[in-house]
Amino acid sequence: MSSGSNDNSKPDLKTIDVRGLYCPEPVFRTKIEIEKMIKGETLRIVSDDPDSEEDISRWVNRNGHELVSLNKNNADLEFTIKKAK
Amino acid sequence: MNKMTSTTFVEANKKSILYRIGNTPLIELKSFSSDKIKIFAKLEWYNPFGSVKDRASFWMVKNAEDRKLLKKDKSIIIEPTSGNTGIALTGIASHLGYKVEIVIPEKVSEETKNILRKLGATLHETSDDLCPRVGAGTDQSIALAYAISKPRPDIYYMPNQYENDSNFLSHYQSTGPEIWKQTQGKVTHFFTGCGTGGTITGIGTYLKEKDNNVKVIAIQAQQNHLLQGLRNFEESSKPELFLRREKVVDDWYTATNEKSFKMVKMIQEKENILVGPSSGAVMASMMEYIKNIDEGVFVGIFADDGRKFKSLYLQQNLFTEQEYTRNLKNSILLPPLAY
Repeated sequence: MSSGSNDNSKPDLKTIDVRGLYCPEPVFRTKIEIEKMIKGETLRIVSDDPDSEEDISRWVNRNGHELVSLNKNNADLEFTIKKAK
Repeated sequence: MNKMTSTTFVEANKKSILYRIGNTPLIELKSFSSDKIKIFAKLEWYNPFGSVKDRASFWMVKNAEDRKLLKKDKSIIIEPTSGNTGIALTGIASHLGYKVEIVIPEKVSEETKNILRKLGATLHETSDDLCPRVGAGTDQSIALAYAISKPRPDIYYMPNQYENDSNFLSHYQSTGPEIWKQTQGKVTHFFTGCGTGGTITGIGTYLKEKDNNVKVIAIQAQQNHLLQGLRNFEESSKPELFLRREKVVDDWYTATNEKSFKMVKMIQEKENILVGPSSGAVMASMMEYIKNIDEGVFVGIFADDGRKFKSLYLQQNLFTEQEYTRNLKNSILLPPLAY
């Protein structure tokens, strides 16, 4: 897993790659990164745990952030989250 | 499994802090005893890291070493816990050269978290909304600890006090024999709180093997409780470790926050000992049980003292800050801790 690295295709977007990790660890890593960010910043998360589709989306909504997009690329789930508070 | 008797401690380096684990005092609480019913407390905070959990933690780590599951300076021990096991495990494992990561509910007191950090643990704090498939509190921590450790068995070892038989054995091989010896085989009723079930099944099994007439009384907390170390078994299921030997329990008592805190205060006033909340729960159950019998020798496990519970006791209006400070200063039977 790499954390906080910049993705080549989206150089301005902070990205965490949590592929290979099982829930609730993807949610936990997301939570840690979001806590480090300031309001208005955006985070991309790449996960391959099917449970994370529900878990990360649910966590984002419950905590008042914005799920900007959720794209599926084969087994990968790519979330884009905006810190809203 | 290699059997670890008290010989292990004798063989250990006598300068090691780990040599001080076990052989805790058993004292009579004379202001609570009567002519025919004697009340004794086993003061588990005399263990170097301050609680009954030193025993299970030491046994679990030594067992993992014996099974060659740990590598010095490489292995990370990870455990979900909300208190004393984290402190004991961190103190003991760090002493033996292993890194420790503790997965802990974020609502656990800052006092406990600060002790863990001071002892060198890395903390992963869990909230109740991480995983929708498990319950709140420690259940979230258990889920995350599994998630972190399972994919990385080359680095992480999770003792898992809720399933690990070394937890049971620590009490079967140390605390049980100590109580039998200290009461010269006269114990008639044994009382302890239940969390993992290791203490009650370990000690209970040993005592019943020595005398099948010994009554074993299990104490659970009320629902939505403030009694660290205890569980309520309607809110959460019984751990696997407990279920293996649950038949050792003769009777149950459900401790309320109110009665437990009242007993904490009464023990302070009558015996001048500042105990932790679970000790108050054990005392409440012994005082309830005393009504049902004519004579006996009661032994209760006092799992920890009141040094970690200042904020809780103040919040519950058990003591004012001045009273707490005075009690802490004047309390007898509070030996120095290893942290």
